[in-house]
Amino acid sequence: MVDVLLVLLVFFMMITSAQVLKVDRTITLPLAPDAQKMDSKRSEVVINVRWHAEVRKAEFVIDDHVYATAGELTPPLKFAKAIGDKKITRSENPTFRAVIRGDKDVPALYISEAMNACGDSGISDISFSALNK
Amino acid sequence: MRRLETNVNDGNVGFQIAPMIDVVFVIMLFFMIMAGSVKVEKELNTKLPGVAITTAPTDFVDEQIIAISPQGDITLNDEPFDSAGSTDLPQLKGTLARLKQAADAAKSSLLITVISDPQAKYSRTVNVLDALAVVGIGNVTFTVSEEEQ
Repeated sequence: MVDVLLVLLVFFMMITSAQVLKVDRTITLPLAPDAQKMDSKRSEVVINVRWHAEVRKAEFVIDDHVYATAGELTPPLKFAKAIGDKKITRSENPTFRAVIRGDKDVPALYISEAMNACGDSGISDISFSALNK
Repeated sequence: MRRLETNVNDGNVGFQIAPMIDVVFVIMLFFMIMAGSVKVEKELNTKLPGVAITTAPTDFVDEQIIAISPQGDITLNDEPFDSAGSTDLPQLKGTLARLKQAADAAKSSLLITVISDPQAKYSRTVNVLDALAVVGIGNVTFTVSEEEQ
Protein backbone atom coordinates (compact mmCIF):
# COMPACT_ATOMS: atom_id res chain seq x y z
CA MET A 1 0.00 0.00 0.00
CA VAL A 2 2.83 2.36 0.84
CA ASP A 3 4.38 1.63 -2.56
CA VAL A 4 1.17 2.51 -4.37
CA LEU A 5 0.79 5.70 -2.34
CA LEU A 6 4.35 6.75 -3.12
CA VAL A 7 3.90 6.08 -6.85
CA LEU A 8 0.70 8.14 -6.87
CA LEU A 9 2.44 10.90 -4.93
CA VAL A 10 5.33 11.06 -7.41
CA PHE A 11 2.86 11.06 -10.33
CA PHE A 12 0.85 14.00 -9.01
CA MET A 13 3.99 15.87 -8.03
CA MET A 14 5.33 15.54 -11.57
CA ILE A 15 2.21 16.72 -13.36
CA THR A 16 1.78 19.73 -11.08
CA SER A 17 5.41 20.87 -11.00
CA ALA A 18 6.41 20.33 -14.66
CA GLN A 19 4.53 23.40 -15.83
CA VAL A 20 5.54 25.57 -12.90
CA LEU A 21 9.27 25.61 -13.56
CA LYS A 22 9.32 27.86 -16.64
CA VAL A 23 6.48 30.18 -15.75
CA ASP A 24 7.08 33.87 -15.14
CA ARG A 25 4.53 34.61 -12.42
CA THR A 26 4.38 38.32 -13.16
CA ILE A 27 2.74 37.57 -16.51
CA THR A 28 -0.93 36.68 -16.89
CA LEU A 29 -1.20 34.88 -20.20
CA PRO A 30 -4.29 35.35 -22.39
CA LEU A 31 -6.72 32.47 -22.88
CA ALA A 32 -6.82 30.39 -26.06
CA PRO A 33 -8.65 27.10 -25.34
CA ASP A 34 -8.39 25.90 -28.94
CA ALA A 35 -4.68 26.50 -29.46
CA GLN A 36 -2.39 23.55 -29.99
CA LYS A 37 -0.34 21.95 -27.25
CA MET A 38 3.09 23.41 -26.62
CA ASP A 39 5.84 21.48 -28.39
CA SER A 40 8.63 21.28 -25.83
CA LYS A 41 11.06 19.50 -28.17
CA ARG A 42 11.65 22.57 -30.33
CA SER A 43 14.80 24.64 -30.21
CA GLU A 44 13.50 28.00 -29.00
CA VAL A 45 14.04 31.25 -27.17
CA VAL A 46 11.34 32.58 -24.85
CA ILE A 47 10.58 36.31 -24.79
CA ASN A 48 8.48 37.38 -21.82
CA VAL A 49 6.65 40.67 -22.24
CA ARG A 50 5.64 42.04 -18.85
CA TRP A 51 3.15 44.86 -18.41
CA HIS A 52 3.21 47.30 -15.50
CA ALA A 53 -0.30 48.74 -15.62
CA GLU A 54 0.26 51.34 -12.91
CA VAL A 55 3.02 53.11 -14.89
CA ARG A 56 1.73 51.88 -18.28
CA LYS A 57 5.12 50.50 -19.21
CA ALA A 58 6.17 47.21 -20.77
CA GLU A 59 9.47 45.40 -20.35
CA PHE A 60 11.00 42.44 -22.13
CA VAL A 61 12.69 39.51 -20.41
CA ILE A 62 14.94 36.87 -21.98
CA ASP A 63 16.63 34.33 -19.68
CA ASP A 64 16.02 36.52 -16.60
CA HIS A 65 17.65 39.56 -18.24
CA VAL A 66 15.30 42.54 -18.34
CA TYR A 67 15.33 44.88 -21.34
CA ALA A 68 13.44 48.18 -21.30
CA THR A 69 13.00 48.45 -25.06
CA ALA A 70 12.53 45.91 -27.83
CA GLY A 71 15.51 47.37 -29.69
CA GLU A 72 17.81 45.86 -27.06
CA LEU A 73 16.50 42.35 -27.78
CA THR A 74 18.32 41.89 -31.07
CA PRO A 75 21.81 40.95 -29.71
CA PRO A 76 20.52 38.33 -27.20
CA LEU A 77 18.15 36.92 -29.83
CA LYS A 78 20.97 36.62 -32.37
CA PHE A 79 23.10 34.91 -29.73
CA ALA A 80 20.26 32.51 -28.81
CA LYS A 81 19.68 31.74 -32.50
CA ALA A 82 23.37 31.02 -33.08
CA ILE A 83 23.29 28.46 -30.24
CA GLY A 84 19.84 27.13 -31.09
CA ASP A 85 20.65 26.56 -34.78
CA LYS A 86 23.17 23.90 -33.74
CA LYS A 87 20.39 21.85 -32.10
CA ILE A 88 18.17 21.82 -35.17
CA THR A 89 17.22 18.46 -36.63
CA ARG A 90 15.20 17.82 -39.76
CA SER A 91 12.20 16.01 -38.36
CA GLU A 92 10.99 17.15 -34.93
CA ASN A 93 12.90 20.40 -34.74
CA PRO A 94 13.09 21.93 -38.24
CA THR A 95 13.58 25.61 -37.37
CA PHE A 96 14.65 27.74 -34.47
CA ARG A 97 11.70 29.66 -33.11
CA ALA A 98 10.81 32.43 -30.70
CA VAL A 99 8.01 31.99 -28.17
CA ILE A 100 6.41 35.27 -27.13
CA ARG A 101 4.80 35.12 -23.69
CA GLY A 102 2.94 38.39 -23.47
CA ASP A 103 0.74 39.59 -20.62
CA LYS A 104 -2.92 39.68 -21.64
CA ASP A 105 -3.18 43.43 -20.94
CA VAL A 106 -0.06 44.52 -22.79
CA PRO A 107 -0.82 46.75 -25.82
CA ALA A 108 -0.33 44.97 -29.14
CA LEU A 109 2.34 47.52 -30.06
CA TYR A 110 4.89 45.87 -27.73
CA ILE A 111 4.17 42.41 -29.12
CA SER A 112 4.71 43.80 -32.59
CA GLU A 113 8.02 45.33 -31.45
CA ALA A 114 9.13 41.95 -30.07
CA MET A 115 8.21 40.38 -33.42
CA ASN A 116 10.23 43.04 -35.24
CA ALA A 117 13.22 42.22 -33.04
CA CYS A 118 12.79 38.55 -33.98
CA GLY A 119 12.72 39.52 -37.65
CA ASP A 120 15.87 41.62 -37.24
CA SER A 121 17.57 38.63 -35.62
CA GLY A 122 16.66 36.31 -38.47
CA ILE A 123 13.95 34.39 -36.59
CA SER A 124 10.83 34.01 -38.73
CA ASP A 125 9.07 31.21 -36.82
CA ILE A 126 7.13 32.78 -33.95
CA SER A 127 4.69 31.29 -31.47
CA PHE A 128 2.40 33.06 -29.02
CA SER A 129 1.83 31.48 -25.64
CA ALA A 130 -1.62 31.21 -24.13
CA LEU A 131 -3.39 29.23 -21.43
CA ASN A 132 -6.08 26.60 -21.88
CA LYS A 133 -8.23 27.93 -19.01
CA MET B 1 29.45 -4.50 25.84
CA ARG B 2 25.77 -3.89 26.31
CA ARG B 3 23.43 -4.39 23.37
CA LEU B 4 21.15 -1.54 22.44
CA GLU B 5 17.59 -2.73 22.71
CA THR B 6 14.41 -1.07 21.58
CA ASN B 7 12.27 -0.58 24.58
CA VAL B 8 8.74 0.74 24.40
CA ASN B 9 8.99 2.05 27.92
CA ASP B 10 11.92 4.32 26.96
CA GLY B 11 9.78 6.12 24.38
CA ASN B 12 11.82 4.83 21.43
CA VAL B 13 9.30 2.86 19.40
CA GLY B 14 11.36 2.52 16.20
CA PHE B 15 10.10 3.33 12.70
CA GLN B 16 6.32 3.64 12.54
CA ILE B 17 4.65 3.07 9.18
CA ALA B 18 1.18 4.36 10.11
CA PRO B 19 2.08 8.05 10.65
CA MET B 20 4.17 7.96 7.49
CA ILE B 21 1.17 6.75 5.49
CA ASP B 22 -0.88 9.56 7.00
CA VAL B 23 1.67 12.17 5.96
CA VAL B 24 2.07 10.73 2.46
CA PHE B 25 -1.68 10.61 2.08
CA VAL B 26 -2.05 14.28 3.04
CA ILE B 27 0.73 15.32 0.63
CA MET B 28 -0.89 13.25 -2.12
CA LEU B 29 -4.25 14.89 -1.50
CA PHE B 30 -2.60 18.29 -1.80
CA PHE B 31 -1.05 17.44 -5.18
CA MET B 32 -4.26 15.78 -6.39
CA ILE B 33 -6.19 18.99 -5.72
CA MET B 34 -3.43 21.08 -7.31
CA ALA B 35 -3.45 18.84 -10.40
CA GLY B 36 -7.05 19.76 -11.11
CA SER B 37 -6.24 23.45 -11.42
CA VAL B 38 -3.06 23.09 -13.48
CA LYS B 39 -3.09 25.49 -16.41
CA VAL B 40 -1.47 24.04 -19.50
CA GLU B 41 0.44 26.43 -21.70
CA LYS B 42 -0.53 26.29 -25.37
CA GLU B 43 0.79 27.95 -28.49
CA LEU B 44 -0.47 29.81 -31.54
CA ASN B 45 1.99 29.78 -34.43
CA THR B 46 2.75 32.33 -37.08
CA LYS B 47 5.57 32.99 -39.49
CA LEU B 48 7.03 36.32 -40.46
CA PRO B 49 6.85 37.07 -44.19
CA GLY B 50 10.15 36.29 -45.87
CA VAL B 51 11.77 37.10 -49.20
CA ALA B 52 9.94 35.55 -52.17
CA ILE B 53 11.92 33.83 -54.94
CA THR B 54 11.07 35.84 -58.03
CA THR B 55 11.92 33.11 -60.56
CA ALA B 56 9.39 30.69 -59.06
CA PRO B 57 5.72 30.98 -60.09
CA THR B 58 3.70 32.84 -57.48
CA ASP B 59 0.19 31.77 -56.55
CA PHE B 60 -2.30 34.55 -55.98
CA VAL B 61 -3.72 34.34 -52.52
CA ASP B 62 -7.09 35.38 -51.24
CA GLU B 63 -6.23 37.97 -48.59
CA GLN B 64 -8.67 38.97 -45.87
CA ILE B 65 -7.98 41.67 -43.31
CA ILE B 66 -9.13 41.48 -39.70
CA ALA B 67 -8.79 44.77 -37.82
CA ILE B 68 -8.91 45.22 -34.05
CA SER B 69 -9.88 48.62 -32.62
CA PRO B 70 -8.50 50.04 -29.33
CA GLN B 71 -11.83 49.14 -27.66
CA GLY B 72 -11.59 45.54 -28.87
CA ASP B 73 -14.12 45.74 -31.71
CA ILE B 74 -13.29 43.33 -34.52
CA THR B 75 -13.92 43.94 -38.21
CA LEU B 76 -13.37 41.59 -41.11
CA ASN B 77 -12.86 43.63 -44.30
CA ASP B 78 -14.43 46.66 -42.55
CA GLU B 79 -17.51 44.70 -41.53
CA PRO B 80 -18.00 44.49 -37.74
CA PHE B 81 -18.24 41.06 -36.08
CA ASP B 82 -19.19 40.16 -32.51
CA SER B 83 -19.22 42.54 -29.55
CA ALA B 84 -16.12 43.86 -27.84
CA GLY B 85 -16.87 41.71 -24.79
CA SER B 86 -17.17 38.44 -26.68
CA THR B 87 -14.11 36.23 -26.38
CA ASP B 88 -15.50 33.22 -28.27
CA LEU B 89 -16.20 35.26 -31.45
CA PRO B 90 -18.89 32.93 -32.86
CA GLN B 91 -19.84 35.19 -35.80
CA LEU B 92 -16.22 35.61 -36.86
CA LYS B 93 -15.57 31.87 -36.59
CA GLY B 94 -18.64 31.11 -38.75
CA THR B 95 -17.62 33.57 -41.44
CA LEU B 96 -14.01 32.40 -41.43
CA ALA B 97 -15.15 28.78 -41.74
CA ARG B 98 -17.20 29.70 -44.83
CA LEU B 99 -14.24 31.61 -46.29
CA LYS B 100 -11.99 28.60 -45.69
CA GLN B 101 -14.47 26.29 -47.41
CA ALA B 102 -14.72 28.67 -50.38
CA ALA B 103 -10.93 28.93 -50.62
CA ASP B 104 -10.55 25.14 -50.42
CA ALA B 105 -13.19 24.67 -53.11
CA ALA B 106 -11.41 27.18 -55.36
CA LYS B 107 -8.07 25.51 -54.51
CA SER B 108 -6.60 28.86 -53.53
CA SER B 109 -4.82 29.62 -50.30
CA LEU B 110 -6.42 31.93 -47.78
CA LEU B 111 -4.21 34.56 -46.19
CA ILE B 112 -5.44 36.41 -43.12
CA THR B 113 -3.75 39.60 -42.01
CA VAL B 114 -4.57 40.65 -38.45
CA ILE B 115 -4.04 44.39 -38.01
CA SER B 116 -4.36 45.49 -34.42
CA ASP B 117 -4.47 49.02 -33.11
CA PRO B 118 -1.21 49.68 -31.18
CA GLN B 119 -3.13 50.33 -27.98
CA ALA B 120 -5.53 47.38 -28.30
CA LYS B 121 -5.00 44.67 -25.71
CA TYR B 122 -2.89 41.69 -26.75
CA SER B 123 -5.54 39.31 -25.36
CA ARG B 124 -7.90 40.49 -28.13
CA THR B 125 -5.31 39.52 -30.75
CA VAL B 126 -5.03 36.10 -29.13
CA ASN B 127 -8.85 35.75 -29.27
CA VAL B 128 -8.67 36.31 -33.05
CA LEU B 129 -5.69 33.96 -33.49
CA ASP B 130 -7.56 31.34 -31.46
CA ALA B 131 -10.61 31.69 -33.74
CA LEU B 132 -8.32 31.24 -36.76
CA ALA B 133 -6.79 28.14 -35.16
CA VAL B 134 -10.27 26.64 -34.63
CA VAL B 135 -11.19 27.14 -38.27
CA GLY B 136 -7.84 25.71 -39.38
CA ILE B 137 -6.39 28.73 -41.12
CA GLY B 138 -2.64 28.61 -40.68
CA ASN B 139 -1.59 31.30 -43.12
CA VAL B 140 -1.78 34.23 -40.72
CA THR B 141 0.26 37.39 -40.38
CA PHE B 142 0.01 39.84 -37.52
CA THR B 143 0.90 43.50 -37.48
CA VAL B 144 -0.13 46.73 -35.81
CA SER B 145 -1.48 49.77 -37.61
CA GLU B 146 1.13 52.47 -37.94
CA GLU B 147 -0.96 55.57 -37.27
CA GLU B 148 0.11 56.06 -33.65
CA GLN B 149 3.68 54.80 -33.81
